[in-house]
Amino acid sequence: MKNKIKYFLVLVLFLIISTNFIKAQSDDQCFICHTDIEDVKANLFKTDIHHLKGISCAACHGGDSSTDDMDIAMSEEKGFIGIPKRTTRYEVCIKCHADQNQMKKFGSNISTDQFEKLKVSVHFQPSFNNQGPIADCITCHSVHDIKRVNDQASKVYPTKITKLCGSCHSSAEYMKLYNPALPIDQVAKYRTSIHGTLNANGDANAAECASCHGSHEIQPVKDSRSLVYATNIPAVCANCHSDAKLMSNYKIPTDQYENYVNSVHGVALLEKGDLSSPSCNDCHGNHGAVPPGVESISKVCGTCHVLNMELFEKSPHKKAFDENDFPECESCHGNHLIEQATDAMVGTQKPAVCVECHSSEDNNKGYIVAGEMKQLIDSLKTEDAETKVILDEAGQKGMDVSDADFSLKDVRQVLIQSRTTIHAFNLEKFKEQINEGYTIINKAKLSGEEAIDEFYYRRIGLGFSTVIVTLLVIGLYIKLRKVEKKT
Amino acid sequence: MAPNDKKTNNKIFNWLNERYNLSALIDFAKKKSVPKFRETIWYYFGGIALLLFVVQVISGILLLMYYKGTEDLAFESVHFISTKVSFGWLIRSVHSWSANLMVLSVFIHMFSVYFLKGFRNPRELTWYTGFGLLAISMAFGFSGYLLPWNELAFFATKVGTDIVGEVPLIGEPLLILLRGGEDVTGATLSRFFGFHVAIFPGIFVILLTLHLLMIQRQGIAEPEDYKKLPANEKKTIPFFPNFAMRELLIWLIVINILAILAVFFPWELGTKADPFSSAPVGIRPEWYFLFMFQVFKFLPGEILFLHGELVGIILFGIGILLWAIVPVWDRKTSKGEKNTILTYFGIFVISFIIVFTILGYILD
Repeated sequence: MKNKIKYFLVLVLFLIISTNFIKAQSDDQCFICHTDIEDVKANLFKTDIHHLKGISCAACHGGDSSTDDMDIAMSEEKGFIGIPKRTTRYEVCIKCHADQNQMKKFGSNISTDQFEKLKVSVHFQPSFNNQGPIADCITCHSVHDIKRVNDQASKVYPTKITKLCGSCHSSAEYMKLYNPALPIDQVAKYRTSIHGTLNANGDANAAECASCHGSHEIQPVKDSRSLVYATNIPAVCANCHSDAKLMSNYKIPTDQYENYVNSVHGVALLEKGDLSSPSCNDCHGNHGAVPPGVESISKVCGTCHVLNMELFEKSPHKKAFDENDFPECESCHGNHLIEQATDAMVGTQKPAVCVECHSSEDNNKGYIVAGEMKQLIDSLKTEDAETKVILDEAGQKGMDVSDADFSLKDVRQVLIQSRTTIHAFNLEKFKEQINEGYTIINKAKLSGEEAIDEFYYRRIGLGFSTVIVTLLVIGLYIKLRKVEKKT
Repeated sequence: MAPNDKKTNNKIFNWLNERYNLSALIDFAKKKSVPKFRETIWYYFGGIALLLFVVQVISGILLLMYYKGTEDLAFESVHFISTKVSFGWLIRSVHSWSANLMVLSVFIHMFSVYFLKGFRNPRELTWYTGFGLLAISMAFGFSGYLLPWNELAFFATKVGTDIVGEVPLIGEPLLILLRGGEDVTGATLSRFFGFHVAIFPGIFVILLTLHLLMIQRQGIAEPEDYKKLPANEKKTIPFFPNFAMRELLIWLIVINILAILAVFFPWELGTKADPFSSAPVGIRPEWYFLFMFQVFKFLPGEILFLHGELVGIILFGIGILLWAIVPVWDRKTSKGEKNTILTYFGIFVISFIIVFTILGYILD
């Protein structure tokens, strides 16, 4: 019995809702007439979210949808505007979509800030022919057959949005009207990426254009407000890649962002604002994002670290790494958590990375070379520090050693170059580099020592001259006494 | 001396005497004497200033061989002198120290003449030329300070010339004349270099010649108390050889002091001037301008309806003028009467200079 009452109540409720719904739709005389005359637009409008919400044609086109008298319904007196002007048609949308109260009337909770975002975006700039903004609401959401964003039939549904964006961004003819320098291969590249492949297979969670660039708020990439501006990219990627639940479907780790933020690259980009420091896309690509392969890692790193790459590729390590499937640079430096490379990374004692593969057993050549390189670089640094002490001492004695002091800056350069040369893993080449530093240090040290010698030479010289002059004073004084006695 | 040497010397003397009447000069020197009393010591400071001027000329000429008076090269050339030229560091340090000691000696000499009333009739012109020599000495210091074109000197010159620009009526054109334009630039450096090595030395030598000639012509001034003594109680020191030997002895001591200062406290070069950088902390002029600089720092922006710096300039102008024309307004001393106002004025001026100079160093 209870079940029967329950079913009865549900039926009553359904009837009330349906009746109102049908009544609302049947009240829209515009829709009725235009459907009768088999108007394509009216036909499309049948499944439009606005029609389903009971919004009449008159809401956008004006006029009176309650009368079937065409002259009255489409009269100016009733506010009929026909097709809204291209330049201002967005105003029709924002009448409701920028008004929270209006949206609530239709039971919608979607955000009402789309227009606020859109009007400052690159797409809302005037079009080349001055016919309104470059892109407005209709450009992306279309008209008469607008669907919910999460409706698979929607033009902005994740698996369809690429096609939508590509309709302009893949057209050379169109894009050259606005930004001839902007590439038009984003969609093509995207299709080669892991994101694009998943998306093409119907995975709505795979990143698409709007996932990274945003939707209404899109800015040029070089604009710091853009979601894909260099300093914003790590956070954009982390939106998905740090989401453990989402990533569990793909079985990939979620610590990349945390590691990157603490890496030398992350600190440089995010804390120091150094835009030359790589973000996620600089290594993984952007539209064609894929993880770099083991053999291409040095090429990827080498886009910035050119010399290191060149030296590595000619080094004996290249062959050994390839044979053992070691990820080149990554083997020693790591990937997302790349720390500041220090001299401690070289040598025969932990934390030197050399000992990960080379051991002291059997006179291992790599082990011996690592030890010698470490010793050479350490002794150059020690000599440099000792020379600075000598020059400081000379400076404190009031001697000018600025030239020698300045020349020591070149030792820093030699050290930087030596650290690069390490990637050749060639001891002779490394020694050659280090010796340049010794030449500078020896010269500076000699200048410092000469300055200190000169300091004492001046003191001795002063001592002699003071003694001579004092003797003259004494002699003169004695003579004066004699002369004054006479007078 | 061997008899033959004596013979040769006599021959040379006679040859010169025939032509230049040296005997008259010797007689003059023999008769020349200096009053001997408690304050005779002050008489040596004129001579010390003269010695230091000679040192300045010699060391200055040596520096000129390497110094380049342009914006791009001035600092580098002084750096080169200090580091690469043999004994260049010594010459530069001696030049800088000697300049300061010379100004100090001129100041002491001036105050001793003031308090011993050496300016009175008939030695008014000697006083005026001496005052002119002090002014030129200070101008030497002001212009020479900028020549190494270092940061401190650059900004001190900027401030110093700014003050000159406040002088009523002639301030603006005077500022342009000094700077060679609106701002302190390379043109100012060239100008100051010209003043320092050509114009000022020329004027200085003329004034110095006049000053020395007047002293020789009129003899050394005797203080009023000494003058009143009976002839038999007046002690004198023969100028030659006694006073000259004493002066020489003091000169040797000054040379020793100068050498010690130059070696132990070499004059620093600092960093090169950058006209586009902001003024560094602790700008201050040479010590002999510091009292004036400090007074200007204390002055409020507005005094009554006048600009504070203008009031300072007017007051300093009046003070300096009064000091310069002391022979005109001091009527009593010439009549042999005591002028206590004069003495108090002198004490006030010395105290003022000392107090504000010390404040300038303490409050830096």
